[in-house]
Amino acid sequence: MSELLMYLTNGIVIGVINAISAIGVSLIVGIMKVVNFAHGELYIFAGYFSYHLSVSLGVPPLLAMPLSIFLIFLIGIGMERTLIRPTYGDEMYSLIITFVLSIVLQNAALLIFGPYPQKPPNWVTGAMNIFGLYHYGNQRILSFFISIGVLLSIFYLIKRTWFGKSIRAISQDREMAALVGVDHLKVNMLAFGLGAALAGAAGVVLSPIFPVTPSGSSSVSLNAFIVVVLGGMGSLKGCVVGGLILGILENLGAAYISTMYRHIFGFIILILVLVFRPWGLFGQKTQ
Amino acid sequence: MGNKKLWISFAFIILALFPPLFLSQYWLHVMIISLFYVMMASSWNLIAGFTGQVSFAHAAFSGMGAYTSGMLTVYLGLPPWLGILIGTGVAALLGFGLGYLCIRMGGIYLSLTTLGFSEILRIIITNEDQWTRGTMGLQVPGFFVEYSKTSYYYLFLIVTILLLIVIYKIIHSEMGLTFRAVLNDEVAASSSGINTVRVRVLAFAISSAMSGLAGGFYGHYLMLITPDVPSLGQMFLVLAMAVIGGMGSFAGPIVGSFVLEILSEYIRVYGEYHVLLFGLIALAMARFAPEGVVGILRKKWRREWA
Amino acid sequence: MGVIIEGKGLTKSFGGLTAVKKVDFHLNKGEIVGLIGPNGAGKTTLFNLMSGVYHPEEGTLSFNGMEITSLKSFEICRLGIARTFQIVRPFLKMSCLENVLIGIIGRGDPREGIKAKGEEARKLLKFVSLEGHEKNSANNLTLIEKKRLEMARALATQPRLLLLDEVLAGLNPSEILQALELIEVIRTQLKMTIFWIEHVMGAIMKASDRIIVLDQGEKIKEGRPEEVVNDSKVIEAYLGESDA
Ligand SMILES: Nc1ncnc2c1ncn2[C@@H]1O[C@H](COP(=O)(O)OP(=O)(O)OP(=O)(O)O)[C@@H](O)[C@H]1O
Ligand SMILES: [Mg+2]
Repeated sequence: MSELLMYLTNGIVIGVINAISAIGVSLIVGIMKVVNFAHGELYIFAGYFSYHLSVSLGVPPLLAMPLSIFLIFLIGIGMERTLIRPTYGDEMYSLIITFVLSIVLQNAALLIFGPYPQKPPNWVTGAMNIFGLYHYGNQRILSFFISIGVLLSIFYLIKRTWFGKSIRAISQDREMAALVGVDHLKVNMLAFGLGAALAGAAGVVLSPIFPVTPSGSSSVSLNAFIVVVLGGMGSLKGCVVGGLILGILENLGAAYISTMYRHIFGFIILILVLVFRPWGLFGQKTQ
Repeated sequence: MGNKKLWISFAFIILALFPPLFLSQYWLHVMIISLFYVMMASSWNLIAGFTGQVSFAHAAFSGMGAYTSGMLTVYLGLPPWLGILIGTGVAALLGFGLGYLCIRMGGIYLSLTTLGFSEILRIIITNEDQWTRGTMGLQVPGFFVEYSKTSYYYLFLIVTILLLIVIYKIIHSEMGLTFRAVLNDEVAASSSGINTVRVRVLAFAISSAMSGLAGGFYGHYLMLITPDVPSLGQMFLVLAMAVIGGMGSFAGPIVGSFVLEILSEYIRVYGEYHVLLFGLIALAMARFAPEGVVGILRKKWRREWA
Repeated sequence: MGVIIEGKGLTKSFGGLTAVKKVDFHLNKGEIVGLIGPNGAGKTTLFNLMSGVYHPEEGTLSFNGMEITSLKSFEICRLGIARTFQIVRPFLKMSCLENVLIGIIGRGDPREGIKAKGEEARKLLKFVSLEGHEKNSANNLTLIEKKRLEMARALATQPRLLLLDEVLAGLNPSEILQALELIEVIRTQLKMTIFWIEHVMGAIMKASDRIIVLDQGEKIKEGRPEEVVNDSKVIEAYLGESDA
């Protein structure tokens, strides 16, 4: 029983981080119809940044974290300006470019950081007894609360601020948004940066638990894509619910069925969604 | 086909008969691999360049072809040609199934799902090692009783030429016309009576079948099939060849395949930098010269002759 | 004269905006009907509903007595409704002949040979005065030529009902006369029903049997041209526009 509870807790913790990562993809898809295949690489880079900032440069872990995310944000902005912006409206080229970029970044990571898994130091140590049922690592508990914090700020940003309103205006009707004075180039750029930063945030939060390697990036991207399709393209709520579902199913599946095949559960979910509800849980069945 | 084009193709085919006479075994190998990539990049170009859909499962389908045929020949003792035929069929069916599921939802879904499919295939092949031998690789029989690079070269040459003829015919048929209409303007095509989803699924299934075929031959040439065959790294190379050579043109992927494969042999001397380099070139091309090398040359020639 | 197409209670909205609101209409076989209304009235959206580009949230559409509300564009086209686009959409990277061939292929009749199709496409190009442009890329045409090419592509599908979205916009007076002649020929010789959106009032009033007026998504008037021009609601709708 307590074992099951622990796997569930794991699923929820991972699920929340899944949600953050997926929102990063979803934002960009929703606004500019671009799928960022380099999403997983940004996550990996964030993990390595926070490792090197804290281990090689001695920055305190809790400072290394936002710093890494900020660096990834800047990389995202740079990507948008140089490579993504010229492809707006041309879906095929944007898909090709972000895919090539993912391969380039993956190889660059291999060259710069080497092939070995790295793990930034834990922010906290020890474990906590949960309701007298089981012990749970403090690092994971802290990761969970930080992720919830990130999630809440994202929701605040998108539901309450100028930036969020512009984003929603653009994803509903680009021309109308332009008419009412939304500078969509600027919003696109910031949104792409934010999407990247969210990949970074997921990477920074999760890397002390699961070490990062250059070859691990594609499964990060894939996870995010599955969550986005499951939740429904462009739906924030969908990302949270989808992220939790995937997190819990993967953890239970890995525990009770097969560890090797943990990623296959996600793919099965993807296929099932495409068969039975291709617009996703919270997506709109358009037209 | 215009008379001039026919003569040029004919001249190339004649020239292609000679390499085994003077190339070393090593360079003959490079030529055979290049021919494999010509099949891969040209068939990928058929969907990406002609219908605008980006599949990331092209290498995966070639892996399906290779492993299907490989396992049929190893475990059931089927002759390679039959194995390849079945492998091609399996790739076609899978392509049809995946295409049918995703394409009605739009191109983004196809790209996401094919990427997922590639990853999953890699995981399955690596884990089911009692059948696939995992990362050790599956040893399979060759196509010929007596191993000879020269025989393989001619085999690959013939298959490649046949495949290119089929692709050429498709591009210049009614079907090819509907491909281009869908690429040009989906709404207008649909409003003119074209079943755009059917066209896209068909293009995807055909192209997947072709990569299954190419993979089948590839496996029986290598005689050792590893998860590298269906990997995303391989997928990237195929994509880079088409993009750098020139998507949407018949000659682009052919040129791209030879240039990149030969180039990678020279770069490999300095280490595994070719992927990074090709990636950067492909980015620059996609950004500044989406018509690829062939497009650039064509423009230049037109200017000089006009 | 039977009814060829009938819409009942058609409604379509985008986000919060209802572009077409509970519209009822019908066309009789062989009629030319004009669809007018100020900018943003929902005219093009109504065409998009009729050609399956969008599907209505409410209401039904039937064509020759058959329900077509939720059919896809290509199915509707094969039943016999073809259209042109307000913002022209020829296949830009294809030749004019290929553009028209797509319409012929779109009929989905496998019995016809490629030769016969080529011949037919040439004839259609000639019909819209584009002979000599067969191999020319559609991208190289002028606006009026592109419009004629779209017309040829639509005719190639052998429709019974032709939807024309502002084919006269951007043309000079002599070009308008040519286009009107062409439309008249299509009606009399090819015996098609025509539903026609236009802002060029003089032309549409002269050529139409009947006019339907939309304003802010709703049908505000329907009748013979002379009835419509003198209607106070219609005048108001157009005046409202010039105020804005
Ligand atoms: N795809 C869409 N997404 C969002 N809004 C749309 C879309 N298509 C049309 N609209 C809106 O619906 C309303 C009706 O548009 P429609 O194009 O049907 O008008 P129209 O009568 O054809 O106008 P015009 O004379 O300017 O062509 C407009 O307010 C327009 O902005
Ligand atoms: Mg309009």
